[in-house]
Amino acid sequence: MPRLVLKFESAALKEVPLGTSPVTIGRAPDNDIQIDNLAVSNYHARVYVEAGSLVVEDLNSLNGSFLNDIRVERAMLKDGDAIMIGKHQILVDHAHDVAAPLDGLRKAPAPRVNETMILDTHERRKLFEAAAAAGERSQVSPERSRVPTLTVLKGRTDQKEYRIAGKLTVIGHSEMATVRLRGWFTPEIAAQINKHEDGYYLGRGDRVPKINGISIQGLTKLKDGDLIEVGRVRLNFLYRD
Amino acid sequence: MQIDAGARTDLGRVRKNNEDNYLIDSSLQLYVLSDGMGGEAHGEVASQLAVQTIVTHCRQAENSRATPTFGESSPDVSERTNRLASAIHLANRKVFETAASNSEQRGMGATIVAAWIEGQRLSLAHVGDSRAYLLRAGSMDQLTADHSLVAEKVRVGILTPQEADASEMQSVLTRAVGTSGKVEVDTDEQALLVGDFVLLCSDGLTRMVSDPEIASTLLTSANSQEAAERLVDLANEYGGVDNVSVIVLRILDKSESVFGRLKIWKRRSE
Repeated sequence: MPRLVLKFESAALKEVPLGTSPVTIGRAPDNDIQIDNLAVSNYHARVYVEAGSLVVEDLNSLNGSFLNDIRVERAMLKDGDAIMIGKHQILVDHAHDVAAPLDGLRKAPAPRVNETMILDTHERRKLFEAAAAAGERSQVSPERSRVPTLTVLKGRTDQKEYRIAGKLTVIGHSEMATVRLRGWFTPEIAAQINKHEDGYYLGRGDRVPKINGISIQGLTKLKDGDLIEVGRVRLNFLYRD
Repeated sequence: MQIDAGARTDLGRVRKNNEDNYLIDSSLQLYVLSDGMGGEAHGEVASQLAVQTIVTHCRQAENSRATPTFGESSPDVSERTNRLASAIHLANRKVFETAASNSEQRGMGATIVAAWIEGQRLSLAHVGDSRAYLLRAGSMDQLTADHSLVAEKVRVGILTPQEADASEMQSVLTRAVGTSGKVEVDTDEQALLVGDFVLLCSDGLTRMVSDPEIASTLLTSANSQEAAERLVDLANEYGGVDNVSVIVLRILDKSESVFGRLKIWKRRSE
């Protein structure tokens, strides 16, 4: 039985045997071969057997289906043909169940479906540059070049203003705290701020802090101007130049 | 801090060999987990070499301040966290060089997630899609960002988390230890509280078991070892399509007592 092999770069991602019903290819999850790429239409193409021949048919996709580099609407397929859809390749393999000849040469093990593989850094960059060029949301936040600070509005702390530097900023009584809370019965670690790739996140310690009057649930991203309350201490989170 | 640690690794129900590996040094409070890749038995070689290199490097650094540093240090994190990243850079070099000198092992690599605890500070470093979670006061957060194609697509907004979960591309990593001469290591730090759980795991767990179920398993187990075993059993029960490894840490107590705090107060007031 012939099969279709979905490939990305050099890795085989999926194998689909061809039976009597057509094999559908597209971005929607109910396709037999799903490709989660914006360049792929929801129902992009299908492959089926007609009068003993294998046929690929483009389903009026936006970016087209290519057979051996030529855009096709409908075309017959033979063993070894490659259908290109977006950056993915679908290979037609008739010789699947024929035993490979023992030529004494050890073949590199082909990546199986679900086997972990690494995407080359260069390819990865190209992929994300392409996404950015297509007008996708960029990850770079405008606040990145500005310095995050905490200004104390109320409560007993060791300073009135703090510049946030580093990945971890602890608010509490602990020796590792940046924002040192004074007084008895103040928790060692009342709350903490973590630097992530896209900004600063407030998380709970022994206290559940509030942002603009609302108790946080899990790690919460801080916005410029947010008012933070931890116990009796009130802090203003501000980006400064 | 006193830590109750438990760990478990398992073949799963589908794979023929276990490419995962973990190593714990409880005297250093250092915990390292790795998921190898590379087909045949080479993934196992890569993950084992990686975890051993990391623990050895950290031990050396503890004993001698003259231990060389690999990779660039960051001013954003503590010396400990930088040392952990250095260990991963060294592991990258060792796996890469081993693969380069043996044609059969070419292309092998591994993920790493490593945790090192000093006082109340948790240092984390990772490469790939093995994860660290923090469960605090009933709510669980993923502390690591997966270095996988689908996760990166979600982060730049071209894929929804639901689409990512259903994707055929879940196994495509964007970073791994040992697949090239250089690697970028992500680091993070957390302040730990008594009662916290820290979970390190390979994707064999998180692909099979949902976050809420992981959290409730941690919360309802008598100790960390039982939690680790129950998590692995759940992954297998739900199909066990991949090797599965977990390290569970429960923060029991801190070495500094109220008495110790009084002494600090006294010292300051003098």
